[in-house]
Amino acid sequence: MFHYDFMQHAFIAGTIVAIMCGAIGVFVMARGLSFITHSFSHIGFSGASFAIYVGWDPLEGLLLFTTVGALSIGRMGVKFFRREASISVMLSVFLGLGILFLALTPQSGSFTSTILFGSVVGISLKDVWVIVILTAALLCLLTLGYKMLKFDSFDPVGAEAAGLPIRFISVAFLLLLSVGVAEAVQIVGALLVFALMTIPASTARHITQSVFMMIVVSAVLAVLGVWVGLTLSYLTSAPVSFYITAFEALCYFLALGWSALKAKYQPMKMAA
Amino acid sequence: MIKKFCVDQIDVYINGEKLLDHLSFSVQPGEMLGIIGPNGAGKSTLLKVILGVIKPQHGTVEITHNDRRPVIGYVPQARAIDEEMPIQTWDFISLGLPHRLRPWLTKRDRAVIKETMELTDTSHLAKQPIGKLSGGEKQRVFLAQALVRNPDVLLLDESTANLDPKAQEEMASLVHELCVQQNISTLFISHDIHLVSKYSHRVLYLTRGHYTVGSAEEIIDNANLDVLYQLQHVNGMAQTAVETMRYGG
Ligand SMILES: Nc1ncnc2c1ncn2[C@@H]1O[C@H](COP(=O)(O)OP(=O)(O)OP(=O)(O)O)[C@@H](O)[C@H]1O
Ligand SMILES: [Mg+2]
Repeated sequence: MFHYDFMQHAFIAGTIVAIMCGAIGVFVMARGLSFITHSFSHIGFSGASFAIYVGWDPLEGLLLFTTVGALSIGRMGVKFFRREASISVMLSVFLGLGILFLALTPQSGSFTSTILFGSVVGISLKDVWVIVILTAALLCLLTLGYKMLKFDSFDPVGAEAAGLPIRFISVAFLLLLSVGVAEAVQIVGALLVFALMTIPASTARHITQSVFMMIVVSAVLAVLGVWVGLTLSYLTSAPVSFYITAFEALCYFLALGWSALKAKYQPMKMAA
Repeated sequence: MIKKFCVDQIDVYINGEKLLDHLSFSVQPGEMLGIIGPNGAGKSTLLKVILGVIKPQHGTVEITHNDRRPVIGYVPQARAIDEEMPIQTWDFISLGLPHRLRPWLTKRDRAVIKETMELTDTSHLAKQPIGKLSGGEKQRVFLAQALVRNPDVLLLDESTANLDPKAQEEMASLVHELCVQQNISTLFISHDIHLVSKYSHRVLYLTRGHYTVGSAEEIIDNANLDVLYQLQHVNGMAQTAVETMRYGG
């Protein structure tokens, strides 16, 4: 299947995006931002539809909407948006806007399914480059800010006590997250960014107890999921995102079972 | 080692009411200053003023070091740790290291973490997830996290709350030793007067709008203590109860 350019592009872009999603996901889970991630992908959806409507590149619309979204959420405070009502209002409004832009755009059919469900065929060489550069920048920033972000994500009270600039960290992370979501929407689709950012990280929590190893495990699982998804989708022509979620969910339940077994086995070992 | 740690004429108002009134004291290098006082006296607020989180309406806090910016280690009063928190104890302690842009731990970092864990008797917990530790173990881990940054000043807000008597003694004597051996100036808030008088060099006794600083004997002998801390408090509650009954709350 690698003799097709589009499959090469899909594998390269998919792998990079998966590494990024897996790594960011660990912090998303630790900070309790999974539903904000979900909202970002919906904001992104309406951004992409807007871009198509006015004749831009979808990624431009995605980035514009998600980063503005991140800044406004950061301004108002994450706590406010963790409330169920705020999230459902925001989700619906942006989903509605997205649908409106699509309805206003003639011949938006194939685009709709791409942006909602992701696509393997639509990725050009230029898209690959854009994704490589964005992800490289994102991972660099994440590496530089790793210690602070880790402190604030896993022990917010301690981080505040130690005098870390917690407000800045929070807004900076939301911005990184919004860029990450915008990238990922192009590959896995708006509906499933959520899956790639949260499931591998949740699985990793059951497998290891060191933050660094969680990032490694989460990224590896995300990458495996994308490879499995792309391959099976190529062979069966069912959507990629279906296989990705199925694979990640399977891993999650296996890890859950494994840690339950381990917990059951340990007391027995102690008693023996 | 700090050169100077001086709280000078601090006034703090909260909701228009004066909480700290012209509070002044200084702490020597290696001195452990115990702080006691009833709930709501402003003890935690005082620590936040020293940290610079709360700006006093009047007065200054001066902390200087001979040759660098002074490092403050602070263990706040309440810290809820999710029981499912998947992070290992040594990793949790490592969070307290001075935050640099370098994402990995150096050999030196590891040595400091190891040494701190030995000091706080947490070495055997290194691989345990933090969420599963007991209350006393967690308090020692919080202390360790504040210590890895090698602080000149240590602010401990009720680090012995929820500990059994033996663990309280161990914690207080550990803090005392650290203080003396590493020349850390420490403020130690606790509600246990005996613990504070046994291990602190001096005691700051704080009530809303009033304070006294002195040796443990002076503070305990001080008739004010009983009157203000216990009797007035209890009387106040009784008074409220009576009024509630009388006026039908
Ligand atoms: N951010 C705040 N906003 C409003 N009031 C506050 C705030 N922080 C503290 N207070 C008030 O200031 C008073 C002192 O609070 P503080 O936490 O300093 O007391 P404390 O001496 O530490 O008491 P405790 O022994 O219960 O810990 C209390 O009446 C509290 O309600
Ligand atoms: Mg307090």
